[in-house]
Amino acid sequence: MAIERWEPKILAFCCNWCSYAGADVAGVERRQMPPSFRIIRVMCSGSVDPCWVLEAFLEGADGVLITGCHPGECHYLNTNYHTARRYRLLRIFIEELGLEPDRLRLEWISATEGIKFAEVIRDMTEKIRALGPSRLGPER
Amino acid sequence: MGKCYLAWAKDPEIRQKGGSGGFVTATLLAALKEGLVERVLIVRRIDEFEGVPLLTDDPEEVKSCSSAHLAAPLNLSSYIPPGERVAVTVKPCDARAIIERSKRRQIDLEDIYMVGLNCGGTFMPVRTMEAVSDLFGLDPGDVLGFEVSKGKFLVEARSGTYTLPMVELERMGYGRRDPCRYCNINIPVMADLACGDAGVPPGMRATFVEILTDKGDELFEAGIKTSMIEFEEAGEEEIETRVRTDRRMSEDADMWWDELSSMIDEDDHLSYYINELGRCIHCGSCKIVCPVCACKDDAKCLDMGREGYRISLYNLIRLFHLMDSCIGCGQCEDVCPVDIPLTMIHQRFERRMEKELGYRPGFEMSKPPLQEPEPGGKV
Repeated sequence: MAIERWEPKILAFCCNWCSYAGADVAGVERRQMPPSFRIIRVMCSGSVDPCWVLEAFLEGADGVLITGCHPGECHYLNTNYHTARRYRLLRIFIEELGLEPDRLRLEWISATEGIKFAEVIRDMTEKIRALGPSRLGPER
Repeated sequence: MGKCYLAWAKDPEIRQKGGSGGFVTATLLAALKEGLVERVLIVRRIDEFEGVPLLTDDPEEVKSCSSAHLAAPLNLSSYIPPGERVAVTVKPCDARAIIERSKRRQIDLEDIYMVGLNCGGTFMPVRTMEAVSDLFGLDPGDVLGFEVSKGKFLVEARSGTYTLPMVELERMGYGRRDPCRYCNINIPVMADLACGDAGVPPGMRATFVEILTDKGDELFEAGIKTSMIEFEEAGEEEIETRVRTDRRMSEDADMWWDELSSMIDEDDHLSYYINELGRCIHCGSCKIVCPVCACKDDAKCLDMGREGYRISLYNLIRLFHLMDSCIGCGQCEDVCPVDIPLTMIHQRFERRMEKELGYRPGFEMSKPPLQEPEPGGKV
C-alpha cells in the first residue's frame, strides 16, 4: 500500500461580491489548481472574524486565505480596509504564537480575475507544502 | 515636560503623617472642599499588608488614608462610579486602564481627576507575609509597616527594624509582583498630576509634583486657593535627579523582562504557549478582573474553552483581543488559580504590536488599532 502523501489544507474565505465569483471564473476558464483549498463564502472580507481564522488553525487548517475586493471597490464602503488592519495584526499575532506568518495570506481578487485566483492558490499551496503541517492543528 | 514643583501640605499634622509631605492628601481635601469633585477614590489600609479601595467624601477618612501603600495590587479603574465627578489616586497602570476604558465608553474621562503616583511596584499581601516570616522570622501580626527605600526592603516591627537589599529579596522569589518588576513605566505621565519622592532633596518632607494637564492645574490651584498646600519651584538639579531615577528603574525593568524572555526558546514559542496555556481550567477569572475588557457578560470568549484544542479559543480570543489594549497591570496573573503567567503572555503580544505599529495603549486618546482601518488598504 502506498504511503499517503501529506497535502496542505487551505481554508479560503471569499467575498461574495468579488473573489467568490473570481474563483468561479477560474473554474469556468479551466485554470489548473491543486485541490488543496476549501472555500467559505462570506458577505465581505471584513466580516471575517479574527477568531474564525484562529479556529481554522486549531481545527487543522495548514493555511488560511482571506480574499476581498480591491481597495476602493468594497461593496460596503471601506470595510476591506478594516480587513487589512485585522490581517496585519493577525500576522503579528500568529508569528508571536509560533506559527509561520506565511500561513496566513490576504489577497485582493476581483470577480474577473480567475487567473489571479488560480495563481494565488498554486503559489500558496507550494509555500505551505514547503512549510509542512501546522503545529497548531489537532494531534494526529 | 510639565511645570515641576516641590510641594507639601500646609497642615503640619498631614505633612508629618503623609508619605512624602502629605501633598496628595492635601490636594484631595482641597478638591473636595472646592467642589471640583463629589467624592475621592483612594486606597485604605486594612492591615500592614493589604489595602482596599475606598470611595468617600468624608475629609476625616481621607486624612486617615494618607501615606503610600505598596501592598495594593489593585486596579482602581474598576471602582470608578459612573456619572460622578471623582478624584482618584492612580499608579501608571490605573491611569492607563482609565484611559483605555474611556476609549471603550466605560468611563467618562471628563469626570475624572487623576492624581498620579510614581510607582516602583506593588507587593502581593500573602507573599509579603511569607517574606517577613521566612526571612526575618517575624510574626506578620507584629509588623508595623514596610517600605522600599533606596533599593532596600525595610520592615518595621515591634522587635526592631529589619532590612534586606531588594535585589537579594527578589532573587529569592519574594518582593514585588512579577508584572511590576518588568513594568517600565514609573511616572504616570498620562495622569493629570504626577507625584512622587524621586527628585526631592534628602531630609525634606515634600512631594515632587509635575503638572501634566489643565485638570492638573485646577487641582494644584484648588490646593493653593484653600491654602492647603505650600510649594516652591523645582530646581534643575531636582528635575535631573528625578529623570535619572526614572531611567534607572526603567532599565532595571527591561533587564528583568529580557531575562524572562530569554527563558523562552526563540524558535519555538508555540511549545511554550501550549505548555503554559494548556493548564487553563477556563474559570474565566482573568476576564472578570481585566480592567480593559469592555465586553462584560456578552463576551464571545466566555462560550469557548471546552473544544479540546491545543490552545483553547478562550485564550486565543482574549490574547488577540487584548493585543492592542493590554496595559500589563497584572490583575489576570494575580487571580489565575493555576498560576499561568498570563500578564507576561499578554504583554509579549502587546509589546510586539507596539513595536510594529508604534501604538502604546493607555497613553493618549487615539483609537485602538483594531478599531481603525488600514490607511490605503496596503497589505
